[in-house]
Amino acid sequence: MNNVTQIVQKVRQAPWRVQRQWIGLFLLALVLMAMVAGIYLNVTVRATLAGRETIALRASITTNQRVNADLETQLAGLISIEAMRRRAETMDFQPANPDDITYVAVPGYLSQSAVDLSTPGINPPVVPIILPEYTESWFDYFINQQASSASAGDQP
Amino acid sequence: MKRHPHAWRYLSAAFIMAVVGIAILVQIVRIQNSPEVAGVINQGNYIWKDFYPPRGEIYDRHGNLLAGNKTVYEIGLDLTAKPDMPTIMLALQMTGLNLTDINYRISQVPDNAQYIVLDDFISADKADTLMTLQKAAHGDPTGKNLDAIYFKAHYGRSYPENDLASNVLGFVTEDNHGYLGIEEKYDNILAGIPVRMLVPADPRRATEYPTIPPGQTIILTIDREIQAAVEKILDQALENTRASSGTIVVMDPHTGEILAMSSTPRLNLNDYQNVKTVFPGETPFNRAISQAYEPGSVAKILTMAGALDSGVVKPETVTFVPEFIVVGGFKIFNWDGGAWGYQDMTGCLANSLNVCLAWVSDREMGSASFYSYMQRFGLGHATGIDLAQETSGRLKLPGDSDWTPVELGTNSYGQGVSVTPIQMVMAASALANDGQMVFPHVLYAQIQDGKQSNTKTQIVGSPISASTAHTISEMLANSLEIESSGALVPGYRLAGKTGTAQIPLPGGGYDQSNVNTSFIGWGPVDDPRFIVYVWLEKPQTNKAASVVAAPIFKQVVEKLVVLLDVPPDAVRLQMIGR
Repeated sequence: MNNVTQIVQKVRQAPWRVQRQWIGLFLLALVLMAMVAGIYLNVTVRATLAGRETIALRASITTNQRVNADLETQLAGLISIEAMRRRAETMDFQPANPDDITYVAVPGYLSQSAVDLSTPGINPPVVPIILPEYTESWFDYFINQQASSASAGDQP
Repeated sequence: MKRHPHAWRYLSAAFIMAVVGIAILVQIVRIQNSPEVAGVINQGNYIWKDFYPPRGEIYDRHGNLLAGNKTVYEIGLDLTAKPDMPTIMLALQMTGLNLTDINYRISQVPDNAQYIVLDDFISADKADTLMTLQKAAHGDPTGKNLDAIYFKAHYGRSYPENDLASNVLGFVTEDNHGYLGIEEKYDNILAGIPVRMLVPADPRRATEYPTIPPGQTIILTIDREIQAAVEKILDQALENTRASSGTIVVMDPHTGEILAMSSTPRLNLNDYQNVKTVFPGETPFNRAISQAYEPGSVAKILTMAGALDSGVVKPETVTFVPEFIVVGGFKIFNWDGGAWGYQDMTGCLANSLNVCLAWVSDREMGSASFYSYMQRFGLGHATGIDLAQETSGRLKLPGDSDWTPVELGTNSYGQGVSVTPIQMVMAASALANDGQMVFPHVLYAQIQDGKQSNTKTQIVGSPISASTAHTISEMLANSLEIESSGALVPGYRLAGKTGTAQIPLPGGGYDQSNVNTSFIGWGPVDDPRFIVYVWLEKPQTNKAASVVAAPIFKQVVEKLVVLLDVPPDAVRLQMIGR
């Protein structure tokens, strides 16, 4: 028993063993830091890429909206009253005189009503942009995973 | 404790690293606050810039675009690219840009500027021409290229119909402010909310601009087809009569929706810079709302409506109409200066007898009742129509310092009182709409977040009863038929009244050589779909409204019955009978 105690004492007191312990701890800390830095770098790069892509898409949307507005205005110019009158004249149409017009009642015909420019469905249902994995706790995560796997298993 | 023999090395390394770190921090702070950086910001490389959202579009009631947006360009010059100025100026000249303005801008640029704006709101055609030249000159071995020119696309206002409904629409200047008409009245909702940011003057350095919600789109009550037809008729009328100006308003008497509103002159809104040339001096932009005048005999319909409603006369009431009547110590004569003998009230309207109407207002109604009805019809007050720069006209009342008793007589036939065409239209809506006077408006609907909210009909008041409204409509329809008016349209029964009015001079008295001619009417009488008001100022070919204005009313109605799908009375009654 005494010998064992002496050996343990010697090992603990050996300088190279103390140094190895410190080196081991340092390396462990280094590895942990490298892991955290790696994860951080990865997330940052992905976020940056997503941000750049968002900016590019937003710029693209803006450009498309401007081009659409431009085209709509051009189209309106092409079908303007004056343009249509000129086109009708080139096709040898003549304006109808009141004497040329006969009113014919067509059953079921509805005269032109005012326009409705509302666009139903333009606002899609709001969905969360941030995934739940980024907001829920570990406990919530595991509970949700359990629930989803259980519900998947219930399906025929 | 014994110190490690090489500890000084570690301490030295730590000290050096700490010094280097502190030096880096000091340098960062120094650069941030250095006068050089502040100078760069102050000397034009950074500017405060307003970012305007796309302006809301304006449609007519059937979805035809009246005011939209188009792409225009800001053309700039990258001074760091060492531009070859003679080549660039030659290219700008070939494109048709104004070199005087561009030279002035270049002369104002600070020495260390990196980017300057040469011109803005350049049309896509001109920008395309310049881009083509730039491509052609790219890579020129002598360095005479146009690579330093930079194009930045943005929105500009565009009016595809040019001058159609220009008096209603108004226009937008380059600073995105609406002026006159709808553009001014609804500027706050059309323009959206601009954002102001400090950005590099060189647009290539600004990587992200703010996303701003666009302005709201609006739909007008104006019907493009009716508006075009009315403008064409008005232009032709001015040419035929050599009148100095003209105005036509078409309104739905049940809803107050303005279907067409035209006045002269008109402006091509895409060249709004010419506004001072087209509207010199005090010329109103839209006479229908901004020019008050003495309407003359068209106002007799309001006098007669008030008299019928108050019960002092009936259509069959007969009175002797002499050569003149004395009111407030002054003689009032008929339009022809003659006596007309015994006349019933329909005859008084049909023959437009001033003496008869003065008798009604002065002898039968009295000033309290007469002016009460005129006020109920909205005379003397702006209608509140949703167009910029409406004026209210003037109805002098007993008790006003400049009111004289004779005006009780003259006001009965539309002299001594000033109104705008839109006021007369609103007042007449009570006669055409079962006694209910409607609020005239131009906004049909506005679109927000994809949802359309329509403007509701507003009843401004009920100055007369429904039975009175029917009675006066019948009287006016009969009077048109009695006089075989030039306003009659075959197949349709219409109610209406002419007005030939003297024009007051600024110094007092009346213009002896010019008159205002008007016509107001509605139809079909038993179910009115439209009110039409015609006003020609100072026609030269003839001075009688029955000759000048009534045929214009007829032309407008002939178009309206087609464009509004109004069947002839006989067909409509057959359809109802089924």
